Amino acid sequence: MIIEIGHFSVVIALVLSVFGIVSSFIAVQTRNVDWVRVGRISLTLIFILLFIGMASLIYSFLVRDFSVHYVAATSNSQLPLFYTVAAVWGGHEGSLLLWVFILSAFSTIAVWLHWRTQPAIMPYLIGTECLLILGFLLLIVFLSSPFERLIPTPADGKDLNPLLQDPAMVMHPPMLYMGYVGFSIPFSFAMAALFSGRLGEEWIKVTQRWTIFAWMCLTTGILMGGYWAYYELGWGGYWGWDPVENASFMPWLVGTAFLHSVMVQEKRKMFKVWNLFLIIVTFSLSLIGTFLVRSGVLTSVHTFATDPERGLYILIFVATIIGIAFGTLILRANKLKSQVEMDSMVSRESIFLFNNLFFLVAAATVFLGTLYPLMIETWQGAKVTVGPPYYNTVFMPIALGLLFLMGVGPYIPWRKASQASLKKNFVVPLAIGFVSTIVLFALDIHSVFALAGAFVVGFAGSNILIDFGKISLLYSRRESINLLKGSLLAFTSNQRRYAGMITHVGVLVLVIGIIASTVYQTEKVVSLRVGDEFVIEDYRIKLERIHEVRGKNWSAQEGVFEVYEGDTLLTTLRPQKRVYDASQTPTTESAIYAKNMGHIFLTMPDVSPDGVAVARGVINPLILWVWGGGGIMGLGVLLNIFRPRKKDE
Amino acid sequence: MGAKNKKVGVIVSIMLVGGALTYLALGNFGENLVYFFTPSEVKAFSSEYYQKKVRVGGMVVEGSMEAYADRLGMTFELTDGEATIPVTFEGIPPDLFKEGQGAVVEGYWTNTHHFQSNLIMAKHSEDYMPIELKRAGVKLPRKDFMKTLVQ
Repeated sequence: MIIEIGHFSVVIALVLSVFGIVSSFIAVQTRNVDWVRVGRISLTLIFILLFIGMASLIYSFLVRDFSVHYVAATSNSQLPLFYTVAAVWGGHEGSLLLWVFILSAFSTIAVWLHWRTQPAIMPYLIGTECLLILGFLLLIVFLSSPFERLIPTPADGKDLNPLLQDPAMVMHPPMLYMGYVGFSIPFSFAMAALFSGRLGEEWIKVTQRWTIFAWMCLTTGILMGGYWAYYELGWGGYWGWDPVENASFMPWLVGTAFLHSVMVQEKRKMFKVWNLFLIIVTFSLSLIGTFLVRSGVLTSVHTFATDPERGLYILIFVATIIGIAFGTLILRANKLKSQVEMDSMVSRESIFLFNNLFFLVAAATVFLGTLYPLMIETWQGAKVTVGPPYYNTVFMPIALGLLFLMGVGPYIPWRKASQASLKKNFVVPLAIGFVSTIVLFALDIHSVFALAGAFVVGFAGSNILIDFGKISLLYSRRESINLLKGSLLAFTSNQRRYAGMITHVGVLVLVIGIIASTVYQTEKVVSLRVGDEFVIEDYRIKLERIHEVRGKNWSAQEGVFEVYEGDTLLTTLRPQKRVYDASQTPTTESAIYAKNMGHIFLTMPDVSPDGVAVARGVINPLILWVWGGGGIMGLGVLLNIFRPRKKDE
Repeated sequence: MGAKNKKVGVIVSIMLVGGALTYLALGNFGENLVYFFTPSEVKAFSSEYYQKKVRVGGMVVEGSMEAYADRLGMTFELTDGEATIPVTFEGIPPDLFKEGQGAVVEGYWTNTHHFQSNLIMAKHSEDYMPIELKRAGVKLPRKDFMKTLVQ
């Protein structure tokens, strides 16, 4: 009964989304604000109805109503409560419902939040949001419903995939979706600007916080996915250039280009068409990303063989959105001519231009690598994949180039930089960059990647520190306060800028973590019996015993390994080989010990009946910097979003 | 510099950097492609495909798996229903690798007519099967799944 209420709500929401589009049209035609209000009410009701839809699905999971097909397919009676909620988005149907629910929530918030200040574009905004919601609801109601019944009702459900029974998996999909959906707000504002012809800087200023919020969610979602892959998949790495990872990385790359490039339009009224182009591409890639993962067109660790009807519908929907967006952009192009020309190649504008160029080539590379196999398959019938070595070769120089630009951009003046200012700002950081490379080389590190990385990190990092140090000193002298207070004052004097610099510092920390854990990772695989030991780097790892352990819905063989450094016992690691009851699926659970910001990572992938265990040890130096860097980036974004509003905002 | 010249300068430098990056992206694209075949196709390989990295998808034949006694690794057979190829594998197979299940292996077809692999790909779902096999008409485990539910 409950699930039918959810089903019914979602169907009504679909009807209301059509109503929202129609009322927006009438509002534009008649210029009657009452019709805009009707649109706003429709959107709000859609949000409430989808909330009921989500709630009814979650309820069916919690009471374990296996007469609901989706519940039976992704959960069973032994599944712990925590993961039962996560199972709601553990499959295709539920995750689409979650997507559109978040979309309706964000849209409703945006419409109520900006209602007073943005009356002129409101009907266009509501119309665009309702169109997007309609597209998803059609898919959910007709092709991919989580509300279907299963008759006869099975006694118990199939299990949620054991690999997804993990805390990181509870939050990873919602974070990712909040990122994807978050970009729908600047996208809808951009479309509203295009439809209404109000093509100033307004839409960018209004949506700045939305954009950066979406970016933060997407970044967090991607990093969480990496963290999950790291300890759950048991191979000791966090990024494998899997098509699904790529699908979330593409909108991130273009979204990052977008949130930099809008600053040029705000400050210099340039790049108008370009910014519209970027946000359209970012959101299109968000849609493509969602659908690639959930339609089964990509052969990847996340996808299943599903029916082609969905694939076709999805293709048509995405093509329609992209078609409308670019069509309108082309129609308005003549109105978008920028009156300002670039003054010099040695200016902040031009650094932003190259930043965008690098990000777009990076995105195009991922796009090519991810979709080329699909194209080849369609046209030639051959199946092909693009391996990680390709991405690694292409991304290394691009990433280093971007980091170098990161050291230049914020410290070079707009319009035209004089030679004197270049000398003043960049000679010392460049020297520090070189010194860091030399120091690393002297420390017997010869990897080109690490040495080049040291240069750009030294250069960009010292630039951030020197600049902020100078400003802080200035403030503390002027106000006669101590340096700490001075730096706080400096920070709040231009919080948007310095919050951004914190995010940049996070990026540098992340990069150091990536370089160290990629270039200096050591791995060792051994077979051993109880009492045997093996040596990896400075550590001696001894298999003490193997015993059986029992969890709520799994049983496991647990290896008890003692880790020694010299003769001191560092820790006892307990990796497991689990078998989940319902599905009889085996998984390998890693055990991790953190030391000096790095990890000793241990798995026991196999135990033979006669007691020979296979153990795999991995030493990942500085890997905590990867997640730590992510945390610092997030902190920067939060400080940006919650900065005090200035008068012109 | 005049306005015209500046514009030319901007365009030229974008083209240069963009061109270099595009070259980087496309230059070694071809050699990084790994093609995917079925066991029947692999069996029909001519010698030019020997020692070329490829992927093969199929079902692991029941009763064919045999682990090495002295080191990590094993031999097994992979089938698409028509042809069956012997595979040798060095390393640790993924958790979901089992006899009678679908698997994708990466490696080389050698002149001794066996497939030498160092990578087996695991799939998240146990009712996953390579889409290629579905097309090849191998019976879908998903249908069996419905049966197990109804029991």
